[in-house]
Amino acid sequence: MSSAQELDLGLGILDHQLVDSEGRRCGNVDDLELEGVREGSPKVIAILVGPPVWRGRGWLGRFASLFARGQTVRVPWEEVEKVDSAVHLRKTAGELRLGRGDDRARRWVEWIPGS
Amino acid sequence: MKKVLQIALGILAAIGGFVDIGDLVFNVEAGAQFGYQLLWVVVVGVVGIIVYSEMCGRVAAVSKRAVFDAIRERLGFGVGFGALVSSQLVNLMTLAAEVGGVALVLQLLSGLPYRALIVLAILALAFVIWVSPFEWIERIFGYGGLALLVFAVGAIKLHPDWGSVGHGLVPHLSSSDHLVYAYFAVGLLGAAMTPYEVYFYSSGVVEEGWTPKDLGLNRANVMIGYGLGGFLSFALMITAGALFLPLGVEPQFIGTVALGAQVPLGTIGLILALVGILFAVGGAAIDTCFSGAYNLAQYFGWEWGKYRRPSGAPRFTIAWAILLVLALLIIMTGIDPVMLTEYAVIFSVVALPLTYIPILLVANDRSYMGRYANGRLANAFGLLYLVVILVVAVSAIPLMIITNQGQG
Repeated sequence: MSSAQELDLGLGILDHQLVDSEGRRCGNVDDLELEGVREGSPKVIAILVGPPVWRGRGWLGRFASLFARGQTVRVPWEEVEKVDSAVHLRKTAGELRLGRGDDRARRWVEWIPGS
Repeated sequence: MKKVLQIALGILAAIGGFVDIGDLVFNVEAGAQFGYQLLWVVVVGVVGIIVYSEMCGRVAAVSKRAVFDAIRERLGFGVGFGALVSSQLVNLMTLAAEVGGVALVLQLLSGLPYRALIVLAILALAFVIWVSPFEWIERIFGYGGLALLVFAVGAIKLHPDWGSVGHGLVPHLSSSDHLVYAYFAVGLLGAAMTPYEVYFYSSGVVEEGWTPKDLGLNRANVMIGYGLGGFLSFALMITAGALFLPLGVEPQFIGTVALGAQVPLGTIGLILALVGILFAVGGAAIDTCFSGAYNLAQYFGWEWGKYRRPSGAPRFTIAWAILLVLALLIIMTGIDPVMLTEYAVIFSVVALPLTYIPILLVANDRSYMGRYANGRLANAFGLLYLVVILVVAVSAIPLMIITNQGQG
């Protein structure tokens, strides 16, 4: 992702779907880590994912985080390949420690015939 | 040929999604109370669902994002979470009502006890969802639901006063019972524009891997599909107006709906009507169940889709299974499915703006819709319907309370 491109962070990235290098959906952009905000030249350095991050998203976010478990996953901006309607990543979800909720839930489903 | 087969997606959305228990209840009750006077509201509702489904399908085909992706992107985490919770509550009520409807029809067909049939219905739905590919579900329920066309034959055989039918297609106010009339108008709009239809449709477009090349198909699907759904709604209301209004019957049971085909056509009419209702309501139950799971997965960014194996989208799979179990628990309490349907439709009307506003915003976003963003026509209709939706959303619950759910 070239840093020269203009993108509305609120509309263009925040809350968008994350898709890994194999096309797997692996979370949403729950928050962004910025640098240089005080200097007046803000720059995105990482994408933050996971229930603890929701606490920074208003009172409903704090409320929702009470019902979910999981850790914060930080995806450095260098791992972003491109941004369209989703944020596409350069690596697999496993390598980036994303999508672990689905990995954990898999054992509840995979014993059933036809799964 | 492939195109013809793909139109089945629209037919499923029409029969399984459009004509569901909400349409059965509101069209028949409206016909029984006001004859053909409210037919015009069906037209308004059908055009509304065509406008917004076309937009949702287009957004999904172009951007690969379904409705709840758009809701979270545009409303943010907090308001989006409110939209999620409210849509899940309405979805669950609708699902429970549809399951109850399926069990009631099975009871009329078999004579077995209602509660045993609820369990059977849930098991059958879970089995069909588990083993059938997405396209099969469409076809099984889409074509089975076509048996509802028996109501069109029934409507003609009942020899309605076609002049009054024509008058009913022209928007007008009623001469009496203004509030009850308004309540049924709101209910009919809510039943026609139920939000789960667009959740399901847009997610289906992503599941089927449509691209901008399929936009013509998208348009054909929503027009033919919902057009047919509207035609069936007409048939139900005309039958009820011709049969129940003169007798002063207020249909409170799903079985009463089927009388509209039995009286003019005999036993074969009754059986076709029950089979049609079974497939339409059963298909709608699956749509509703999937919609709930789609919404959760899209809001939280989980992997989702029937086209994945269940173990490829495990949280999505667990979500629909839990929704089925919750629906089972709700309907096993013995709550009346018809009453539950009315509540579900009226509450869904209140949640409509939270669904349709983000869609309108995303469909106008050129940064990812490019040249497929809304044109003037789509925006004119979109804004017009937004006003309708807002008025209806604000007035739905007060009307329900004042009119005692249309009982006057």
